[in-house]
Amino acid sequence: MSKKSVAFILNAHLPYVRHLEYPRFLEEDWLFESISESYLPLLRMFNKLKKEKLSYTFTISLSPTLCCMLTDASLQGRFNAYLELHKELGEKEVLRCQSEQPEFLEMATFYLDSIKQNLIDFNDLYRCNILDGFKSLEASGHLELITTAATHAYLPLYKDYPTAINAQVELGIQSFLTNFGHLPKGFWLPECGYYPGLEETLKSHGISWFQVASQSMLLSPDKVECGDYRPIRCPNGVAAFPRDYQATSLVWSNSSGYPCDRQYREFYRDIGYDLPMDYIKEYIHEPEVRVFTGYKYWAITGNTDQKIPYDRSLAQAKVAAHAANFLYNLKKKGDILSSSMLKDPLYTLGFDAELFGHWWFEGIDWLEQVIRMSANSEEEVTLVTPSSFLFKEGELQTARPAFSSWGQGGYSSVWLDGSNAWTYRHIHKAIERMEELAVRFNDQISLKQRFLNQAAREVLLSMASDWPFILYNKSSTEYAQKRLKDHLRNFNVVYGNMCKNAVNTEWLVKAEKRDIIFPDMDYNIFNPKH
Amino acid sequence: MILINIDSLSTTELQYIAQQEGFENWQSLDREELIEELEEAYGEQDDEMLASSLKGKQIRKRFCNSLTDFRGNQQNVNGLPGVEELPEIYAETAIHLLLRDPEWAFAYWSISPATKIQVFGEDDQLGGELFLRISVTDKAKTETKSFDIAIGPHDNQWNINLPTLGKTYSVTLCYKDRKGMEMALAESKELQTYAPYWGDHFDDMAMNPQLFNIHFSSVVTKEGEIVDNAVLQEIAHTLSKGVL
Repeated sequence: MSKKSVAFILNAHLPYVRHLEYPRFLEEDWLFESISESYLPLLRMFNKLKKEKLSYTFTISLSPTLCCMLTDASLQGRFNAYLELHKELGEKEVLRCQSEQPEFLEMATFYLDSIKQNLIDFNDLYRCNILDGFKSLEASGHLELITTAATHAYLPLYKDYPTAINAQVELGIQSFLTNFGHLPKGFWLPECGYYPGLEETLKSHGISWFQVASQSMLLSPDKVECGDYRPIRCPNGVAAFPRDYQATSLVWSNSSGYPCDRQYREFYRDIGYDLPMDYIKEYIHEPEVRVFTGYKYWAITGNTDQKIPYDRSLAQAKVAAHAANFLYNLKKKGDILSSSMLKDPLYTLGFDAELFGHWWFEGIDWLEQVIRMSANSEEEVTLVTPSSFLFKEGELQTARPAFSSWGQGGYSSVWLDGSNAWTYRHIHKAIERMEELAVRFNDQISLKQRFLNQAAREVLLSMASDWPFILYNKSSTEYAQKRLKDHLRNFNVVYGNMCKNAVNTEWLVKAEKRDIIFPDMDYNIFNPKH
Repeated sequence: MILINIDSLSTTELQYIAQQEGFENWQSLDREELIEELEEAYGEQDDEMLASSLKGKQIRKRFCNSLTDFRGNQQNVNGLPGVEELPEIYAETAIHLLLRDPEWAFAYWSISPATKIQVFGEDDQLGGELFLRISVTDKAKTETKSFDIAIGPHDNQWNINLPTLGKTYSVTLCYKDRKGMEMALAESKELQTYAPYWGDHFDDMAMNPQLFNIHFSSVVTKEGEIVDNAVLQEIAHTLSKGVL
């Protein structure tokens, strides 16, 4: 009987969004929804299984921008306000459903209870810093925590700027060290964006492994022996773990993945859009901008507007069936592969963490079932982390992964198309100028140092993969465009002033106050000779 | 050095800067004195001197600088002071080449006003035309070929088709005068594409179903949909059409 290993890697990332200048800010809800619907419930699930002494290991990448927000006292306070507001709405909903829509009462109560539990966990258990929850699970051996690029830059489009690549990697690792007290072994490549040679920078910072897109093995210039079912070593020794597209698609396909099941909860039907304005006004954004509230009562049903009410017990039965189906598929495939490869396969599965709980409401229950079923010795499927796999399986084939990403088309076309190509002229120029400033004004102190540090922050923030993705996706384009331009224009303030031997102090204090990310930033990181 | 709007800083901020600058009496100075002293210190001392003389007093360690206390966050910082619009292009002559996928690259460039005058004349009286020269190098054979793409004087970006996998490409921004004399204005860095091993070894995979399964089972969904990738789909197409 062959043994199949599965490495789940969850990428928890959000762009840096912090707008204290507004009482409430629409895009900050990205963070609050993720904490409330994904991160806290994930931690609860992991802790529950740990308490039951179930054996499991998962890998989670926590991006530096996300960590900065999760540890920001102001955002922590605003998240509490978000929870309180949604608790109030839940209480109102329970009363409304009791009298008007009893078929939704069970779910209204469920949501309200979840929010109350979130309030307890967030304040009492984690004292507002949920990174402590991840740290604790790492310490007990249940999680491997890893980092990613400082602002989640899509790295292949900065290949010609090794200083900027290094800054993204080094600062990502430093940020991890600050938050978790040790160096990470793995590095999540943003958007699975890989170009040949990137492993050199990773190695120089002590990284042992990274993940790559599925096609990077089949398109390798070398004859890769085991396809996506074993990691390879790059010629410099760093391991690359290819993602199994097929196994991932069982979950992530937007046409046939498990989350599409008709019994599951419909994401897009929310009382924020469905209920009368007078009722919901206090819980959405000013001025009367309807948004998701998290109170959703309908099942996916099918490709129709006529949705049926969500039935949690039916959905839970589906969760168990889908978890069993998932493991069955891995086992079936593994038996064939083991005899072909003469080695046991490893399935590397990479997902955005926010898929579970936030987008796919039942996703965390599904993960729990997968863990429970795989913990059963008869299941032949073992959960591993890339680091534990490397520890046990020292010998790997040496080969070169191909240039690739997990975006549409498999390369860089999502982050470099008609909607966003214009940005690189400016971002590249900002990087060149930042390097110039770091060389001309190296090792400054005091005001100039702060001015230059802020310039470095602005350059890094402009490099985030989120902005070109949003422009490509045509979702919150106005915000993404403004953020990108603001960071670049802010950088130009420093560049222009430093060239005139001036420091715009008013700009500096305001900019520092707004983009407080990476408080320990040292602009000398942009000095190519550093 | 000029300090713009230093009076907009809080007293705490000013004290912090004075402390950083090595003022021994920073705690006893009032707000006006702090501003005066700082302006004097920054104004009189040569920047290089200041940096080098104070450098030794600082314990330098990357990522250990801390931000100072801030005032309240009530001020609206939507538009920061001194911020200007981005220029459309930059006053330099340069060209950059970005790899979008193995078949397409994106080039963007700019020509400085001085270079424009040099090649076209003050009032464009010299005429001539611009073009991109794409160099295609086969590193193994140490052989370089090229092809040209005509561009207009107002163009500043272009999508370039890369005809062959496994080659190294670069692009040169060129000018040709009325007499046909060519001049290179700027050249991009090289970018390399790689030919996949299996692109030239269809037969091995076609003859060996196990090998085919190892490599293709992970890139095709259970419904038979292959991962969205043109090169990979071409390999699959060749296998299914001609060989399998």
